[in-house]
Amino acid sequence: MDVGSRPPASLPPRLLSSIKAERDVSAMSSGMKMLLLGVTLLLLRAAGADLSGSAAPHPGPVLSSPSAPPLGPPPGAPGVALSRSAVEEEQEAEEHHGGGYRVVQWEWSYVQTPYIIAIWLLVASVAKILFHFSQRFTTVVPESCMLILLGLVLGGIVLIASKKQLYQLDPSLFFLFLLPTIVGDAGYFMPARLFFDNLGSILTYAVVGTLWNAFCTGFSLYAAKLLGVIDERVQAELMDFLLFGALISAVDPVAVLAVFEEVHVNEMLFIIVFGESLVNDAVTVVLYKVYISFVEVGPGNVQTADYFKGVASFLIVSIGGTLVGLVFAVILGFITRFTKKVRIIEPLFVFLMVYLAYLTAELFSLSAILSMTFCGIGANKYVEANISQKSRTTVKYTMKTLASIAETIIFIFLGISAVDKSKWAWDTGLVSCTLVFIFVFRAVGVVGQTWVLNRFRLVPLDKIDQVVMSYGGLRGAVAFALVVLLDGEQVKAKDYFVATTIVVVFFTVMFQGLTIKPLVKWLKVPRSTNRKPTINEEIHERAFDHILTAVEDIAGLQGYHHWRDKWEQFDKNYLSKLLLRKSVYRKSELWEAYQKINIRDAISVIDQGGNVLTSARLSLPSMASRASFPEVTNVTNYLRENGSGVCLDLQVIDNVPGSKVEEDMETHHVLAGNLYKPRKRYQSHYSRHFMPLGEKERQDREVFQRNMRSRMETFKSTRHKRHKKERSLKKVNMLRDPHRWNDPVVVPVEPEEDKADHSDPEKEEDVGITFVARKAETPKQRPKSVPAALDVCQSPPPHTPSPPAADSHLPWKGSVGAPPPCVSVEATKIIPVDLQQAWNQSISSLESISSPPAPAEPVHPRVSALSRLGGPRPLSYTGPTAGGSPSAGPPLPQASFSFPERKKKQQVEEEEEEEEPGASQEMQPLMSPLRLPGSPPPAPPPAPPPGSGRRRNPCVYLRSLVTTPPGGSSEPHSHRPTQL
Amino acid sequence: MGNKQTIFTAQQLDAYQVGYGSHFLLFYRYRDLAPQLVPLDYTNQPDVKLPYELIGSMPELKDNPFRQRIAEVFSEDGEGNMTLDDFLDMFSVLSEMAPRDLKAYYAFKIYDFNNDDFICKSDLEKTLNKLTRNELTEDEVKMVCEKVIDEADLDNDGRLSLEDFQNMINRAPDFLSTFHIRI
Repeated sequence: MDVGSRPPASLPPRLLSSIKAERDVSAMSSGMKMLLLGVTLLLLRAAGADLSGSAAPHPGPVLSSPSAPPLGPPPGAPGVALSRSAVEEEQEAEEHHGGGYRVVQWEWSYVQTPYIIAIWLLVASVAKILFHFSQRFTTVVPESCMLILLGLVLGGIVLIASKKQLYQLDPSLFFLFLLPTIVGDAGYFMPARLFFDNLGSILTYAVVGTLWNAFCTGFSLYAAKLLGVIDERVQAELMDFLLFGALISAVDPVAVLAVFEEVHVNEMLFIIVFGESLVNDAVTVVLYKVYISFVEVGPGNVQTADYFKGVASFLIVSIGGTLVGLVFAVILGFITRFTKKVRIIEPLFVFLMVYLAYLTAELFSLSAILSMTFCGIGANKYVEANISQKSRTTVKYTMKTLASIAETIIFIFLGISAVDKSKWAWDTGLVSCTLVFIFVFRAVGVVGQTWVLNRFRLVPLDKIDQVVMSYGGLRGAVAFALVVLLDGEQVKAKDYFVATTIVVVFFTVMFQGLTIKPLVKWLKVPRSTNRKPTINEEIHERAFDHILTAVEDIAGLQGYHHWRDKWEQFDKNYLSKLLLRKSVYRKSELWEAYQKINIRDAISVIDQGGNVLTSARLSLPSMASRASFPEVTNVTNYLRENGSGVCLDLQVIDNVPGSKVEEDMETHHVLAGNLYKPRKRYQSHYSRHFMPLGEKERQDREVFQRNMRSRMETFKSTRHKRHKKERSLKKVNMLRDPHRWNDPVVVPVEPEEDKADHSDPEKEEDVGITFVARKAETPKQRPKSVPAALDVCQSPPPHTPSPPAADSHLPWKGSVGAPPPCVSVEATKIIPVDLQQAWNQSISSLESISSPPAPAEPVHPRVSALSRLGGPRPLSYTGPTAGGSPSAGPPLPQASFSFPERKKKQQVEEEEEEEEPGASQEMQPLMSPLRLPGSPPPAPPPAPPPGSGRRRNPCVYLRSLVTTPPGGSSEPHSHRPTQL
Repeated sequence: MGNKQTIFTAQQLDAYQVGYGSHFLLFYRYRDLAPQLVPLDYTNQPDVKLPYELIGSMPELKDNPFRQRIAEVFSEDGEGNMTLDDFLDMFSVLSEMAPRDLKAYYAFKIYDFNNDDFICKSDLEKTLNKLTRNELTEDEVKMVCEKVIDEADLDNDGRLSLEDFQNMINRAPDFLSTFHIRI
């Protein structure tokens, strides 16, 4: 197999392995997380069972921890308990059946809890899959809506089946397990910069806005009650309404996340709404607790001091929660500093500490959400720097999976909980008033606050933003869980409140969630752009920060930039030293960013075509070993080519430093160039991730691309004509001397890379037109000896250096006097006069060199159409043309040499500068034939038949190619005109 | 604003697009930097320059890698000695009202250390070294620079022109909209 002859196969084991490892990790992590989730849920379920059983009238969600006597197996040691129960059951069974051993036993009670949990998870996951089957459907209907609907259906089924609602969204389950997974994910991956940039606004909306909503809703409902809009049956006083207002007014992080993630509004808008929903937790918790206590003691007994206590309590809850989070963040950062030897448990530390931050805050009845959020935000930077790449991946996937499944469960259970007659008490007045008040006060609050905030914000929020913010005030499971926690004894109207809350939640999540997308579209809200981060942005961001800080300092202002700079200094001087590994600390963040970008690109490259790297001898620097420069260099250069598909690099050849010619390298390159891609490669590596094109299609593309590339190469070489006149002489010499062929062959500098290049564009935009010119082309090499020779003359003989070396001198980096000939993607479509020959040539080369996939070639309409170029053109051609015989190898090349008469040959040279304008004219003739239906060109006779034997021995193949008459004759001619 | 007349003429006030009231704040700031040099009466346009040393030696700025560059770019003489006009210009460029193109232009100029109207490799290397406080090795700097140019260099000439730069920066819409300060 020719595959064997290519070194690539053995090349990138590192890269491959590291990438693979990542995949494995993610796969592993999902497994692990399921396990974790299972365990946690098991524990929770048990705890939840207790809670719901004891209907705890706790003052707050905080207290509803699994302290009640467990009904099921004790949460602490489920395994033991379960096994014990199993044993008991077994004994029972034995008694029943007289001691005979049963081969199969029904152990339902043993597995019941985890079994049910697993089934629920499965249902939720499958539901997710099903929703995403229909692309059109999911773009219209948010997932959360579908999940709630599914929950309603399931709830109905359960209700019918057992006459009683067995399942409901249990507050303790929700607050202890489901919510933290979502908040943890949100906090840890919160874009810190964005969050803190908008912190002022977020805090305002969260605190002032929530207070405003709560009070206004409460008082208005009370007023409605007094006015008789709300039915008499709703036995509620002012305090009850205020309590209800407090719990119903908070924007819900789960709902906001679920809906906004699908809407893709711009980041700033998202972070404000989402940040608000996270931070308002403190307000909600405090209000809720204060009112509960007020309700308990009775409104009459509330003293003035209690109000102040309420305010103090708010400060303690919020600031305390934040501090707890930050403390845990520091601890987490510090721990991960020392996990070098035990990488495998690094992710666990992250989960544990973030979760502990949540639980600890709950323990002291502080704001757990705040705590967790700030733990995540604070620790992220240091943890990410400390832990290994694999751990990072694990953390990421695990958190995402957990959050996703938690969200799914929450919505399903919300739906199920709604189908429970025992909890419902409907009052139309209450429901409609609440809906209206919530919406109105939210809008009024947002507008009012924004008006004030815009006086201070760097980037003011315009009207559209305000509309989306008002409309995006979704209520969700938090409100529901809080209302379920109410004590029916104290709050007489609990059932009414529950029903109203459910309606409000459904209305906001479903109706507003459903309509917000069209609304956003209609309002033309700036969407978030999915652009990849670039190193430029990293640099500019930092530079701008410094500049602004400097200007602020010069002005003597102590503004935002001033303080951020102070913080960064502090972070750099103390925090980072404390929390970061020494090896990591040394490196600047810019470098980190650079590497991340590199790796991301590399991974995407691999994903798009595994074989690319195989041939490119790249190895990816694993983050663990950051210091390895040579590898980085490779990737860098590698990426450079892929990253900017726009650059047509025409200088490759010139800039390649001369070095010793190594025979085998040459051979390798020649082979790499000449042989068409081995087909099997695709399947053998990464077949899972590679989307196999139709065999024929791929081959067609390859052929087409080769054409294009060879054309570009010619183009490249023609550029230099002016500078060196002797070239023509040399060329002739070289052509005559078969042995000289070696040199030209070398020219294509980075044959390996070309694969990368063209596979990349090929996949990204499915038209194979964006090539980078610098791809060295194989088929062209042979016939192209001319251009190659030209290059050889004009620049130090470009030999193929080892790829890394070649890479480091990348083409367009070199300073080139001449203005860039081709600039953009479009350029490829333009065929300058000079190129016509190249174009034809490449066609001819195609024809003449039949390569393994030969049968496919002819089929390609473009190719065949191109091959007919000779036909239409002869009229305008000076030289003898191969008229209607595009198929014959020798004649075709001839055709390619000829030039349109209207262009004088000297002109041609001058036109190098203005290729583009010239090209537009020339494009017509060239491109039009493309549309012609292809006639299958006969098999090229001159070229050595693509026997497998040839492939096995590349040298033979090569030589045969070289010596074939067509190639040799074509070369000299092709350039003659231009030389004149 | 009783002292308005004594410091600026009406035309002068109109000319400074820094926002109402900010002139005085900035003027006093300017004067505070060098009370002995700056007169209180600016109606007859005295020729006063604040030497760069004064700005460069401010304690708040001692860690700022761009302090000299900013002074150079915004000063008329290109050496960091700022007149009051320069001083106010600096803030008007960075005010909210300033058009994006103007901001981009000045940002570009700040990067363009050798004033050749192109950000070339050496400029980028300087920028990087300033940003990273020389923590990166030469190789690393080189690699990053190559990547930077590679990303943004649309005309493929190995350096970034103003168009390249604007193009680049417009792709990230937040950059310029946040590139201002409130006074």
